[in-house]
Amino acid sequence: MKNRNLKRLLAAVTVSAMSLGLMTGCSGGGGEEAKTDESGATVIKFGIHVANPAEQEAVTNNIVEAFNKANEGKYKVEFEAADTETHSKNMKLKAEDGTLPQIFWIEGSEAPEYSEAGVLLDLTEFLDENAEIKTALGGMEEAFKDDNGQYGLPYQCNVQGIFYNKELFDQAKADYPTDETTYEDFIEIIKKLKDSKVTPLSIGSKNSAYAMWEFNEFLARYGWEDNIGNILDGKDKFNNKELTACFEKFQGLKDAGAFPENMATIEYFDAKQLFNEGKAAMFGTGQWDCAEFDENIGDKIGFWWGPKFSDTQSSQEIAMKVPSAPIGVSAAVADDEKLKEGVYEFLKFYYGEEAAKLSYEGSIFPATNYEGASASDSQYSMNVMIDALANGWGSPQAAPDLTVSSAVQEALYDGIFGVLQGTYQPAEALDKLDAALANSK
Amino acid sequence: MPGESPVPGSIIFKKKLRKRHKKDGLIFMHWLSKKKYKIGLMVPTLLVYSIFIILPVIIAVRYSFTKYSGIGQAKFTGLKNYARLFQDKIFWISFKNTMVMFVLAFVLLLTLSFAIALLLNNRLKAVDFSKALIFSPAIIAPIIVGIIWVYILDPNIGIINNVLDAIGAGGLKAKWIGGDKLSPYSIAIIYFWQQLGYLVTIFIAGLKMIPGDVLEAVKIDGASTVQEIRYVIIPMMRTTISTVAVLIITGVFKIFEIVQQTTGGGPNHLSETLVTYSYSMTFSSSDYGYGMSLATVTFLLSLLITAVYSTVTKEREG
Repeated sequence: MKNRNLKRLLAAVTVSAMSLGLMTGCSGGGGEEAKTDESGATVIKFGIHVANPAEQEAVTNNIVEAFNKANEGKYKVEFEAADTETHSKNMKLKAEDGTLPQIFWIEGSEAPEYSEAGVLLDLTEFLDENAEIKTALGGMEEAFKDDNGQYGLPYQCNVQGIFYNKELFDQAKADYPTDETTYEDFIEIIKKLKDSKVTPLSIGSKNSAYAMWEFNEFLARYGWEDNIGNILDGKDKFNNKELTACFEKFQGLKDAGAFPENMATIEYFDAKQLFNEGKAAMFGTGQWDCAEFDENIGDKIGFWWGPKFSDTQSSQEIAMKVPSAPIGVSAAVADDEKLKEGVYEFLKFYYGEEAAKLSYEGSIFPATNYEGASASDSQYSMNVMIDALANGWGSPQAAPDLTVSSAVQEALYDGIFGVLQGTYQPAEALDKLDAALANSK
Repeated sequence: MPGESPVPGSIIFKKKLRKRHKKDGLIFMHWLSKKKYKIGLMVPTLLVYSIFIILPVIIAVRYSFTKYSGIGQAKFTGLKNYARLFQDKIFWISFKNTMVMFVLAFVLLLTLSFAIALLLNNRLKAVDFSKALIFSPAIIAPIIVGIIWVYILDPNIGIINNVLDAIGAGGLKAKWIGGDKLSPYSIAIIYFWQQLGYLVTIFIAGLKMIPGDVLEAVKIDGASTVQEIRYVIIPMMRTTISTVAVLIITGVFKIFEIVQQTTGGGPNHLSETLVTYSYSMTFSSSDYGYGMSLATVTFLLSLLITAVYSTVTKEREG
C-alpha cells in the first residue's frame, strides 16, 4: 500500500516537474544553433533597436537587403526588431538565457556590462583578418575595447550638433551662428528669435531625456574627456568647477527662454516636429535626421557645433563626430564555424565600401571612411554637416554621455533636463550625478 | 404500457430525463466532493498561480537584496537598497504622489461612483444611454486615455489653457501636467475618469441584488431616501463596497500608463508614482536591485492598506 502511494507521489512530482519545464520553456541548451531557411541559406539574426527597420533604420535595412541579395542561398540576415526600450530589455533577458541573436545593437552605456558578463565575441580576430576595414574605421573601434578585447564595432558614425532654419534666423534678423560664435552671442541670438515669436531651441524631455545631443558639445568643451577618468576613479567629483560652469550655461539658456514652454510634456519626436514645421529655429540632433530635414526644410538648413566658452581652459575646437552605440556579436557564434563564417561575411559587407555608399545615399555617416563615398548635392543637411567637419577639429573618442554607466548616464540626463526646466540648481544636479556614481559602485 | 419507454417529447419522457440528469448531477457532485479530486482539480490553477504570481514575487524580493544591472551575476548587498530608498528624495516624492492619487481617487471614486449608481438604478429617461456613456472610458486602453488627456491638459496645446485664453481668463492658465505641483492631482482626475464607469457598473450590480420587497417595506414604513440609503442600502451593500474599495486601492498602486503617457514621470521625476519610479530605476537606469526594492515596498504598502481596510470593515461588521 505504502509502495503504491510512493509511486503515485513520484508520478505526481514527475508530472509537475515536466509541466513546469514545459511552461517555463526549459530547453536545457545554451546558445541558438545555426538555422537555415527554405533555400538552405544560413540565417543570421540581427537584433535592432527600432520596431520597423525599413522605415526607421532605412540605411541598415538597405545594407541588409543588399547583403542578402549578394549572398542568396548562402546567408540570410533577418532582423529581430523592437523599439529601443523593448530591445534593450529583450537583449538582457536573452543574454541571461543564452539566446542572444548573432548580431545585435547595444545601448552604448550598457555595452561594457555585456562585455564583462562574457556574452560578446572578441572581434579582434575579425579586424586582424580584415586590415582594410580596420584602416577604414580609422580608430573609431577603439571606443569599444576593454580587457576582454574588441567587444563591439561602431554601428554608425554619429555627427551631432545644432541644426538651424536660416529662414527663421533671417526673419528674426539674427546672424547665423559660426565656429566663432560665443555663448554670449548665442544668448543674444536666442533673444532675437524669441522676440520674433518662434521657439529658439526645440527640445522635449518626456520619455526622451537621451535627446540631449547638442549638450554633449557643451560637456566636451568643459573638459569632459580629460576629467571623466578621474571622476570615475573617485579622484574628482562631478560637482567640480568646470562642470558647474557648464551647468550654469544650461541654466542661462533656460533663463533666456530658449526652450518650448511644454518641454516636459513633449517628446523628442514632437520637438523635431516643431522644427520641421518652422515653429522652432534650432534643433539639436545628429545625422540620422538629415533625410527628414531635407524633405521639410531643404536648402534653408544650417548646422553648427555649438557655442564657444571663455570661462574654461579646455579646448574649444572640438567637433562631435563620434562612434554611435556599437553592434556586438554573441559569444555563442564561436561554437558554430558556419555561423561564425556567415557573421564575419556580414560584418565585412557592413563595413565595406558598398555599404558606405548606401549609407551616404541615405544621409547617414558610416563608421568607415572610403574615398569617393560622399553625399549628393540634394542632401542639404548632410552637406552642411560635411562643411562643418571641414574645419578639421578633433573629436572625443566617444560622446560624453556614452562614457558612463547606465545609472550615471540616466542621472546626467536627469540633471541636464532638471537645470533646463528649473527644477534643479547646477550644483544640485551635479550632486545627483555624484550620488548616482557612488550608488553604482 | 408498463415497461415501454416513453415517447420522446412527452411529459413522462421529460420528467424521467430531469430525474436522470438530477441523479447524474448528484453522482458528479459526490465524485467532486472527494478530497483527492478536489486537490487534483486545484493543482493546475495552483501551478499556474505559483509560476506566474508567487514565483516572480519571490524572485523580485530576492533581487531587491542585490546589486544587479540585468546582465551577468547579481551581487548580494543585504539591506543596502532599502537603506538607500529611505534617503532617496525621489522615492519620497513618488510615495507622496501615490498617496495623493490614492486619497483623491479613493474619496472621489467611492462616493461618486456609488452616488451615480444610485441615480442610474432608478427608472430615468435615457438611463441606458447614460450608463453606456459613463462606462465608455473603461473600455479605452489606458495608453489612449493618456494621449486623450495630453490634448486636454498640456500647457501649450491643451484644450483647457487654450479655452482659458480664448475667454480672456489667461490668468487661470496653469501647468496642469509637466509642472512641479499639479501633475499628481491631474493624474488622479484622469484615473477617476477612467475608472468611474467600471465601478458604477459594479455598484449597480450590487444594488440589483437587494431584494425589492425590502426596499418596498422601507418605503411603506415611511423612511426618507437618505434613511433608506443609510440604514438599508449601505449595510446591505457592504460586500460590494468592500470589493470596490479593494479594487481602488490595488488600482491606484498600479497606475502606470497614464503617468508614462502624460508626463513620463517628469519633469525630473516630480510626477513619478511608486510603480513608474520602480520601472524607471529598473529599466532606464538598469539598477534592477534598487528597482526591485521599490517594487517590494510598493507591494507591501498595497498589501498593508488592503489589510487595514479589510480589518476595519470586518470589525465594523462584527
